[in-house]
Amino acid sequence: MAAPVIETHALGKTFGLTPVLRETDFRLAPGHAAVIIGGNGSGKSTLLSILCGLVSPSEGSALVFGEDTRRFSPRYRRRIGMLSHQSFLYPNLTARENLEFYARLYGVSEPRKAADAWLERIGLGESADDRVRTFSRGMEQRLTAARAMIHNPALLLLDEPFAALDSDGIARVKAMIREAADEGCTLVATAHAQLEIEGISFELYEIVRGQVVEYQEKDEARRGGRLRSLLSPRS
Amino acid sequence: MAGYAAIVKKDLMLEVRGGRITTVLVSLALLVLVVLVFAFDRAVAQGPDTAAGALWIALVFAGMLGATRVVLSEQENGCLRALLLSPLDRATIYAAKLTASFGFMVGAAIAATILAMLFFNLEFSMSLAALMLVLILGALGFSALATLLAVIAARARGGELLLPLLIVPLFVPALIAGVKASAAVLSGAALATSRDWVGILIAFDVLFVTAGYLLFEHVVGEE
Repeated sequence: MAAPVIETHALGKTFGLTPVLRETDFRLAPGHAAVIIGGNGSGKSTLLSILCGLVSPSEGSALVFGEDTRRFSPRYRRRIGMLSHQSFLYPNLTARENLEFYARLYGVSEPRKAADAWLERIGLGESADDRVRTFSRGMEQRLTAARAMIHNPALLLLDEPFAALDSDGIARVKAMIREAADEGCTLVATAHAQLEIEGISFELYEIVRGQVVEYQEKDEARRGGRLRSLLSPRS
Repeated sequence: MAGYAAIVKKDLMLEVRGGRITTVLVSLALLVLVVLVFAFDRAVAQGPDTAAGALWIALVFAGMLGATRVVLSEQENGCLRALLLSPLDRATIYAAKLTASFGFMVGAAIAATILAMLFFNLEFSMSLAALMLVLILGALGFSALATLLAVIAARARGGELLLPLLIVPLFVPALIAGVKASAAVLSGAALATSRDWVGILIAFDVLFVTAGYLLFEHVVGEE
């Protein structure tokens, strides 16, 4: 069996005196997809921040690609893509310049070509030379998704990926995520509730009082079946 | 190296496009020099000591607002997080930010020197080349210090207000050395006569560039 891409042992995080995550054991095999459901402030973003090495755990450990995230070396960071609440885009740069900049940071060969290809893919080819500050929220979010994937990461962390997107934007970002999954990318997404992408079967987890637990079907019944669609087998 | 170059190029591109830092640096240098030249008695204002003092006050004030912007501007849209998530090591990010900050400081030093020549009737001579060397040494130390402390400020609530309180006391030794060396050079003495002051400036540069390079990872490390 392949070594898990993500493996946490008794992971905990406390901010000041407030525990956000506790005793979390979570494993994800290569090429698998997981969605972590939880309300505002439940610790979803904190968990992703720990997994990408931005935040150190207070207790336990988090291993990504077998490397402790406390000592994440650059070659491991190269393999991770992060789509967070913040766009990480420079408003005074154009869409192309933003993507080209990130392509260079990640050592993508032919950054200009890669940027143009992604712009076409997300339907922003015609706005390539427009500054990001003139973009609508939806256009910005699509560009953000391209920014997160421009280096073809092996692990994609998606923090509420469809927030602020219109239906066209959702369809495009879903297609990008599906393509990444088809190429063997491991996915971890967070959501408040439903998250469904055709062709991807998500392993379902829920954050309950700071602990990441497998989603239980009895909970689904309690919740009126609103997550049933997520349990369909991977096609 | 490609990542380093990408960050420096991006900072310069943003500046060329927005021009915010240059505008702040030049207008502040102009303001300080105008105020000082009119505040002093005419005879005093013509002296090299006054010119040197005015030049360094302009440089420090301009640097405080301008040089730190290179780091603080990364706060917008969480771009600093993106740099930390990238495969670049932290020291490279520091080096790139320091380079951009130093570039803007040198620009400020050139602008302030030109303005000082006009306001204080300085003659264009070889002493100005020596003066530029002293100012560049000061600008490097200031940039190294400001870049490191700006990261701390970027992570603290109200940190921008805290920044001058952190930078100025630490910069005082270099400031004194810079003013003394500049005054000596402007009075016509050879730079060699100020070798002790220049030595302090070089030591300050080495200390804070090294400290920044080594400490940046720890300063920027945890959210």
